[in-house]
Amino acid sequence: MPREFAFHGVYLPTVTVLFVVGLLVTWVVDRLFASIGLYRFTWHPSLFRLSLFACIYGGLALTVYR
Amino acid sequence: MKNTSAVPALALRQALNAWARSNGVMWIYLFKVLLAAGLTLWLAMRFQLPHPSSAVITVFIVMQPQSGQVFAKSVYRLLGTVIGLAVMLTLVALFAQARVLFMVSIAIWIGLCTAGAMHFRDLRSYGCVLSGYTVALIGLPAVMQADTAFMSAVLRVLAISLGIVCSAAVSAAVFPQTSSAALSNALYNRFGTFAGFVADSLRGILERTVMEATGVRYAAEAVGLESLRSVTAFEDPHMRMRSGRLMRLNSEFMALTTRFHALNRLLVRLRQRQAKAVLDAFDSIQAELIEVLDSRRGKPLTEQDAAVLSERLDILRESVRARIRTARHALYEQAPAIIDRRDFETAAELLYRFITELHNYTQTHASLAAPHHEREQWNERFKAKANTMASAVAGIRSGVLILALSVFWILTAWPSGNMFTLNAAAVSALAATTPLPHRTAQQMAFGALVGVTVGFVFNFFLFPHLDGFPLLFMVLGTYFALGAYVSLRPGCMGYGLGSLVFFCFTSIPDNPPVYDPGTFLNTAIAVVLSMFTTAVVSSIILPPNSPWLWRRLERDLRKQLVNVIGHPLPGLANRFDSASRDLLNQAYGLANGNPAVQKELMGWTFTVQEIGHAVIELRQEQARLPDSERYAENTPWQQATRAMGRALARLFLKPSSGNLQRALNAVDSAIACVEEAREPDTQHFEESPLRRIQSFLHFIRTSLLDPHGPLASYAPSETVATGLSHAS
Repeated sequence: MPREFAFHGVYLPTVTVLFVVGLLVTWVVDRLFASIGLYRFTWHPSLFRLSLFACIYGGLALTVYR
Repeated sequence: MKNTSAVPALALRQALNAWARSNGVMWIYLFKVLLAAGLTLWLAMRFQLPHPSSAVITVFIVMQPQSGQVFAKSVYRLLGTVIGLAVMLTLVALFAQARVLFMVSIAIWIGLCTAGAMHFRDLRSYGCVLSGYTVALIGLPAVMQADTAFMSAVLRVLAISLGIVCSAAVSAAVFPQTSSAALSNALYNRFGTFAGFVADSLRGILERTVMEATGVRYAAEAVGLESLRSVTAFEDPHMRMRSGRLMRLNSEFMALTTRFHALNRLLVRLRQRQAKAVLDAFDSIQAELIEVLDSRRGKPLTEQDAAVLSERLDILRESVRARIRTARHALYEQAPAIIDRRDFETAAELLYRFITELHNYTQTHASLAAPHHEREQWNERFKAKANTMASAVAGIRSGVLILALSVFWILTAWPSGNMFTLNAAAVSALAATTPLPHRTAQQMAFGALVGVTVGFVFNFFLFPHLDGFPLLFMVLGTYFALGAYVSLRPGCMGYGLGSLVFFCFTSIPDNPPVYDPGTFLNTAIAVVLSMFTTAVVSSIILPPNSPWLWRRLERDLRKQLVNVIGHPLPGLANRFDSASRDLLNQAYGLANGNPAVQKELMGWTFTVQEIGHAVIELRQEQARLPDSERYAENTPWQQATRAMGRALARLFLKPSSGNLQRALNAVDSAIACVEEAREPDTQHFEESPLRRIQSFLHFIRTSLLDPHGPLASYAPSETVATGLSHAS
């Protein structure tokens, strides 16, 4: 993937856009996990959710810088 | 041996637990603030943002003890920031050369944001605050160098977003104090106190002042629980799945308190006129309920308890129905006066409905145990009610303040004029949502004075000796901890926030750092002056704690009754309940320190709620009437009730002796018309809508005549005295 892309003549780093994409993906996955009751088996649900976001965002960012 | 060592260990653990629950929470919060500020500062320095101070300031503005609040607010704050950025860039592009137009449009925008922050009494209010704050913070520096405005604005927005994201991450992951725990705690305990309160009031052993205080407390709790519920949805996916049921629970609890309040007032009036026969008959009905409630007094109600209680109430409801019939027979055999009979019917009906509602409430509470439940289907939202006039005035106040300061800036060409205007704008946006903006602004001004003084010492005597981030943070952190500690003291929020924000504003080194004592002093003077100006202006231009505002709120409250008479029925009860409670809560807070006004407000709220609910129930009965000649639209009793509705609306729009007399006459004639049309006594009470309607009408009548109510001052003295005998 390109490392930057142009938005109306302004260059944005792709990772910034991926941050928003990561948030959306995490939101969907989070709802899914909550509805199947996965969070009842985690020790620290909010840390788990934060780490989930970190993993998803990191994974997405790897497609740009590798 | 084992025993002796176990006892001190246990005592120690208990002491530690007690500490952890009280002071420990505060220290953990302090630690979290420091951690978030440190993380933000480090990242901002690492990313080489030109103004790390804006990021750190945002942390102090966003951080809250409970994580749910930080999340929910963060989402809306990010939205607000982006909106502020978009507006600012448009304004800079349009008016970079025309400073008068630029300042006028900024004043208008910030005025709009402040008005919005007051108008939306939910999370959207934070979005409005932050969008006004962002405009001030990024716009005024940007317009000074219009050619680099875009980059500097974007970088500042990045800094603000960095602060928001870091504080959200820290409060989620490090020792989270969840809002959902606070919510379930509040729910569990509320029922225990409510059960005790109901049992005591039914026994008639509570003072009037205690009842009033409890009424205010339940109103405040209803508003508080709703805001907790709205933030937990952001924090905890399990709570989000229960959001509809929590909303329903709150709405059912409001209905419950209103119903009980009506019953209680009726009983109080009966005790005042010593209607012994009715009270004795009623005692035999309520005994069982008191017993059930006493068993729950002061105990937290968990979901399992609620399921058990719900079954008990279901049985109780059937037995109470039978008891009402027996008591009615016994009472009628004594050949009571008509008013006694009507009072008894009304009280029994209210009690029966109270038990039914209590049963519904416990069922909803019990349903919280399951992740999915059919009770989740609930569309009636809590409807907050703000006064349009009040929000408009807050907006105009901020707008005028900014205009005045920009005129000063343009006329004097003061080099720090932009700081002066910027800070006034940001602070007026932040302070407007607090109950007493001028006091908050005043506190922040004193805080800022301390903050910039310490900042000066730090900047020019300490910083030259420091090298590297760890040392810098050691120095800054001491002040951050102190400021955060002060802001946690009750009533000192403004001092702490002011000193932290303006300490950061002046003292956190930019990238690259600038050492210029002249500019520093100019900025510092501008900051402190602008804060004091804001304080003065907000206390002069229509301060919200003045009589006009609570009078307007009182009128809004009375207007709720007019809505109840005129608005369409579906969802009306919930809208009425939430709006009247929200209004009471606001007005009560504004009239703080003025007990006479608070007492009058309470009186109006109670009267409006009692009569409003009676009217709603009357309308519900009318909507359910079977198709029969007795209940047709053009019967005299239907016309008389409609006339009564109009008379009540007139009375509550414009209370006066004449209107009160007219309303009383209308109620009397409605009661008389219903009396002529009503079903024979041989028919069961449950199957006779007209007899129920009559009991509601009778309730409205006693409520209007209440000698302790706010309408008593309009009643000519002989009406109160002869009213009862006239009816009997």
